[in-house]
Amino acid sequence: MVQEAQQHTGTATMATANRPILSVRDVHKTYRLGRVKVPVLHGVDIDIYPGEWVTVLGASGSGKSTLLHLMGGLDRPDRKPDQERRASITFNGEDLTRQSKRALDHYRADDVGFVFQFYHLLPELSVLQNVTIGGMIKHGRFGYSTHRGKVVGRARSLLERFGLGHRLGHRPAELSGGERQRVAIARALINEPSLLLADEPTGNLDRKTGESILEAMIEHRAQTGLTMVMVTHDERIAARADRIIRLLDGRVVEGTDAQRG
Amino acid sequence: MYQALLTRKYLTRKVMPLLAMAAVMLSVATILITWSVMGGFLKTLIESGRTLVGDVAIVWPNVGFAHYDDLIERLEADEMIEAATPTIETFGLIELPDGRIELISIKGIAPTSYNQVTGFADTLWWKPIEEPTPKDHEGEDLRLQPENRDLLAQIEQNALTMTRPDPLSGVIEPAAVIGVEVTGLNERTIWGGYYPQITNRARPDGSVELIESFIPRDGAVGLTILSLDSSGRPVNPVTRTMPIANEFQSGIYEVDEGTIMVPLNVLQRMLKLDAARRVEAVPADENPFAVDIDPQTGEARPRMRQVIGEDPARVTTVLVAGAEGFGLEEVRARIRDIYADFAAAHEGEVPSSSQMHYQIKTWEDLNRTMISAVKKETGLVLFIFGIVSFTTVFLVLAIFWSMATEKTKDIGVLRALGASTPGVAWLWIGYGAAIGLVGSIIGTALGYWVVSNINLIHDWMGETFGLVIWDPRQYYFIEIPSDVDPSKALTVFVVGVLTCVLGALIPALHSARMDPVKALRFE
Repeated sequence: MVQEAQQHTGTATMATANRPILSVRDVHKTYRLGRVKVPVLHGVDIDIYPGEWVTVLGASGSGKSTLLHLMGGLDRPDRKPDQERRASITFNGEDLTRQSKRALDHYRADDVGFVFQFYHLLPELSVLQNVTIGGMIKHGRFGYSTHRGKVVGRARSLLERFGLGHRLGHRPAELSGGERQRVAIARALINEPSLLLADEPTGNLDRKTGESILEAMIEHRAQTGLTMVMVTHDERIAARADRIIRLLDGRVVEGTDAQRG
Repeated sequence: MYQALLTRKYLTRKVMPLLAMAAVMLSVATILITWSVMGGFLKTLIESGRTLVGDVAIVWPNVGFAHYDDLIERLEADEMIEAATPTIETFGLIELPDGRIELISIKGIAPTSYNQVTGFADTLWWKPIEEPTPKDHEGEDLRLQPENRDLLAQIEQNALTMTRPDPLSGVIEPAAVIGVEVTGLNERTIWGGYYPQITNRARPDGSVELIESFIPRDGAVGLTILSLDSSGRPVNPVTRTMPIANEFQSGIYEVDEGTIMVPLNVLQRMLKLDAARRVEAVPADENPFAVDIDPQTGEARPRMRQVIGEDPARVTTVLVAGAEGFGLEEVRARIRDIYADFAAAHEGEVPSSSQMHYQIKTWEDLNRTMISAVKKETGLVLFIFGIVSFTTVFLVLAIFWSMATEKTKDIGVLRALGASTPGVAWLWIGYGAAIGLVGSIIGTALGYWVVSNINLIHDWMGETFGLVIWDPRQYYFIEIPSDVDPSKALTVFVVGVLTCVLGALIPALHSARMDPVKALRFE
């Protein structure tokens, strides 16, 4: 399957020849726990190339999820006056750290899809509504009425593809863990993002189900050329990606081409 | 768009919003019921207050003004005036059948024209009726009984002519119509009617006389007033026994327990406001006790003074009813114009138009004290209920805060999907507005239903639980008055929605400003 994907997208090696879709430069991040400052990232530099599947590997607390949130414009890096270089996270040439809140909202709605470990589906909504809500947010109050047909069609198509065509009206509570994660992936893909950020998407699933989820994502990537950044601490999953970035205590300790490494 | 979807889902799948909705509903219904009942009370009171005064009154108290017949003719010739009637208003003492002496307001009226202006006939209590009053479920009202019909019909007719045959001689005498609460001899029933009761009268020798007190049949009262000279100064007390023709109920207790109406000409005579010959004054150098010989009898008599004119009869008030379709102020302005012409025609004999300018009063002016008192009471009650209902804001705030906390992770998800800060704020504000809207709609409907059926509900409560809040023996109106004004309902409705939006505002801002990363990690 991976080989198929590589053939279809032109492989990671070819991807790295392009300009990066996302560049992270000298990013530091510190959280506060009450009065205590907890440094999480210490000057991270990463490039992600179009069509590439990168896994970020590291132990708990190594800053994987924080890095993912920063890449997705959910959070901003520290601004340190003593820093030699200014931290930047550049997506298609636009520095996200200089963007307004509104621009970041648009970035998340248009260009990025998030998949979380615990699915984070909205329990009151049906499967179909959980997926289309991304389209509602993107198109806004008035735009959605004109794009409604297209959004619902795409949501149905995605859910069919993920084997949930018969579950459209069901609520998340009526689904298994694997089915919920498939819905979450469909939600992340509804607006045809160019970057999918997945935070341990199989971490809450048994091995077999996790495998099927992964297969679904790989298959979709093979069909669309989607760029994926996946956070995991599972070496087996990481090994299937184009490239592995290892984080240790908030620093990139290794960046390898997984397929070749 | 997603706000509308989530609002709909949250509304139908959560218990908490139903509690908030119930709070808004009850608050809206309570305010609307209170306002409508107080408004109805005020409206009924105002309408009752209008009953005996017409639309506009031309008032020149104490000494009164002359040529009122001419004024009334001029008024009634105008298209804006329906009718006008002369009256006299004064105070005096009344001696009641049981011997008590009370202060009383005395009105001299011309019954036919007074009825045209004020609907006086409708206020007469003792007359045959066809339908029982709303709370007289058993048909106990004496006025319904067939055996009383003839007597009551005669009594009603007596009131309209303000006369009554003397029970012994049969001679027709001028008679008065008295407020139904004046004598205290009518017992107010639980269904809001009256039963004449037998009472005692203390005698000087210590014995007691029993009085059967259906006074419109054969009762009388004593009236004592101070007659006035032409300058309005009291001259001497005049006492007269007045047979009672009937009793009236205007709807205002203060009027009904302190007013008697007597024929206009009777009161004019008692007050010396009737027409009188004017004679020459005795010259200063002439003996005031000089005598002449009467040419017809040849006997000595006090020297006759030459009649040099006649002082016309006077009244203190002319009441006016405006024609249909004309506003009160419009009618008053026209009356002022007509009075100006009238004053010019009788210059020196009647108050000038400038003097009379502020004495031409609408019925609202005349009842201003009473109306403003009830308005203030209404305002006070609404203020208190408003404060109580304002707690709904905090209730909604607490419920929304709890819900927003519960939904923290959902907010994080929405932010990750690209929802903006204002978008999330609008989610909660819209949600608050939706709860307020539904709660207010149901509350307004509930309030309207309760107000529309308030007397039925009250009767049911009385029959089922023995709970009687509005007892006609204590309250003057038989039924609980109510008046649902659409503008009031709209105001209460809008305030209900705003209350909810206000309560949702702080949780909305808190939720919108939440760090999405923290929200996603919220446990």
